[in-house]
Amino acid sequence: MISQGVVPALYCENVVKLFRRGRGLKKKVIRALDNASLTLAPGELFGLLGPNGAGKTTLVRCIATLLIPDAGTIRIFGSDAFKDSLFCRQRIGLLTSGERTLYWKLSARDNLRFFAALYGLTGKKREQRIDYLLELLGLEEVANERLERYSSGMKQKVSLARAMLHDPDILLLDEPTLGLDPQFGRFIRQFIKEELNRRQKKTILLTTHYMDEADELCQRIAFINKGRIIDIKSPAQYKREIPHKEVLQVRCLGQPDTSRLQNLAGIERVQTDFNDGITTLRIVAPRAEPVLSEVIETVRAQARILGIDVKEPTLEDVFIYVTGTSLTADTGQGEE
Amino acid sequence: MASRRLNTELRVVGAEFVKTMRIWFSYPIMIAFWAIFPLLWVLPYVFQGKALVGSGSSEAFRQLTGSGNYLAFVLIGAMISTFVFSALWGVGNSLREETYWGTMEYIIASPTHPLVILIGKTLAEWTWSSVMVLFQALIIALFFGVHFTLAKILPVLLLVVLLMIGFYGFAIAFAGFTLLIKEVHGWVHTLEWVFFLFSPIRYPVEVNPITALVSNLIPLTWALVAIRGIMLLNKTEVNLYQTVVILAGMDVILLVAGYFLFVYLEKKTRRDGTVGMH
Repeated sequence: MISQGVVPALYCENVVKLFRRGRGLKKKVIRALDNASLTLAPGELFGLLGPNGAGKTTLVRCIATLLIPDAGTIRIFGSDAFKDSLFCRQRIGLLTSGERTLYWKLSARDNLRFFAALYGLTGKKREQRIDYLLELLGLEEVANERLERYSSGMKQKVSLARAMLHDPDILLLDEPTLGLDPQFGRFIRQFIKEELNRRQKKTILLTTHYMDEADELCQRIAFINKGRIIDIKSPAQYKREIPHKEVLQVRCLGQPDTSRLQNLAGIERVQTDFNDGITTLRIVAPRAEPVLSEVIETVRAQARILGIDVKEPTLEDVFIYVTGTSLTADTGQGEE
Repeated sequence: MASRRLNTELRVVGAEFVKTMRIWFSYPIMIAFWAIFPLLWVLPYVFQGKALVGSGSSEAFRQLTGSGNYLAFVLIGAMISTFVFSALWGVGNSLREETYWGTMEYIIASPTHPLVILIGKTLAEWTWSSVMVLFQALIIALFFGVHFTLAKILPVLLLVVLLMIGFYGFAIAFAGFTLLIKEVHGWVHTLEWVFFLFSPIRYPVEVNPITALVSNLIPLTWALVAIRGIMLLNKTEVNLYQTVVILAGMDVILLVAGYFLFVYLEKKTRRDGTVGMH
């Protein structure tokens, strides 16, 4: 995906990270990254999609130099991330999930002042940059209030401002919408896509286990599972991976037994999602129409149907098709 | 380039100092505690001394130390140890605090070396403990007959600075160690008692041949003996040169060892993948 002669913004080749846990006979070696390789073009918005424990965060931490890999190469605009770490750290902005990444006893402005100093920003230039970011993220009115009074979404906005403080070329966004309410989640997604990527042309590596987020934002996506990069394609290319398949989506009140559906001829897989008393069944079949009446009959015998749709396969369907694992699963990491 | 880099690092030290102070002052109850601490600190020593010898002075004590003023002896020990233990608690514990706050990873991921942050924390700790010690010195001067003159203060200040340079080297290594072990309180308490046992903070180490021997390895011993000599026995010039040379030598060893141990341990935590864990 990178034109010849263009230096990749980020280049990872065969990155291996082993974690040694326990002692003596209980000692385990966990292969968190297994020869992970990927290349990001300058200005690309790239997604790393995988379930919990797949190795997404480990790879981000290796790129941010927080972890030293056991093998492999990581380059930032051609420079080795570990041999030339000062240069590379200056070009990377990091955002991790979770609220506890800032000083809650300080205001947003004081937090940003401190982190700006770490990147060599001082004086008037620092204040101008902080004012700009606070305004951009809609925080100017609460800028002098302590963070302990902020909501999770507002704290995440401050984290985003911190990642952008030194105007880095690459942003590593690790689960940036995790745990946020839908309104803030929407804001952050929109901000990443429109402001950071389209307007500011930042190179972004986004990790997520929300398929909709990856589908909406990313130009290319790497599927990662058990520390291995399984495949790298655009969302559209992925969806073409499972041709001649349709997804029948049935929403109903109650929780029908899906084992009867699984056994129906012509159905390949049934996935269930239960939320607020409503079950959403995603039934994958080569064609939806021939199984439709039997599905309706089976579900109606156990629950009240609210709606039925025939849909194109989503990234989650592709992920399951390729890896055999659901994105909502907790895969753990591969033991040696 | 090098001077610009130094300038940048100095500004980080300043930013860390301001941040640490702001966080401390955001807990009003801590300010109240530290305001009455110098008074609370002094009373147990006074009562203990009176219970043991009936007054502030003891002949047996004079034979061991040259001064019969037990209370002044102990209070000077406690005053100097305030510096030492605040370095252990403040600097040694400071990176653990950053991991609890979830900010440690962001410090390590920045172009600033965590050692620069530790220097900022050291400066804040030094300022804070200096204010405490100043109050303690005032109490000693007003109520326990220890006279502070410029001729006494200057060599004492020199000794304190030399003592603390080495001790901050030790605290920096300890800070690196805490990144690895993820537990601080037990270790600091243990170290405190090791120092109480093997250096003359509360008693003259000469009472036991083993403590007397081991105490020679601890800079605090050398500093305390010289400071008490100056303050209680008016020995301004006696052994000062020898003590300064010994403390300076220990400073070099402790600073170099502290630096390399910290760098090694910080790298080890990045290799083990335990930077953000607590």
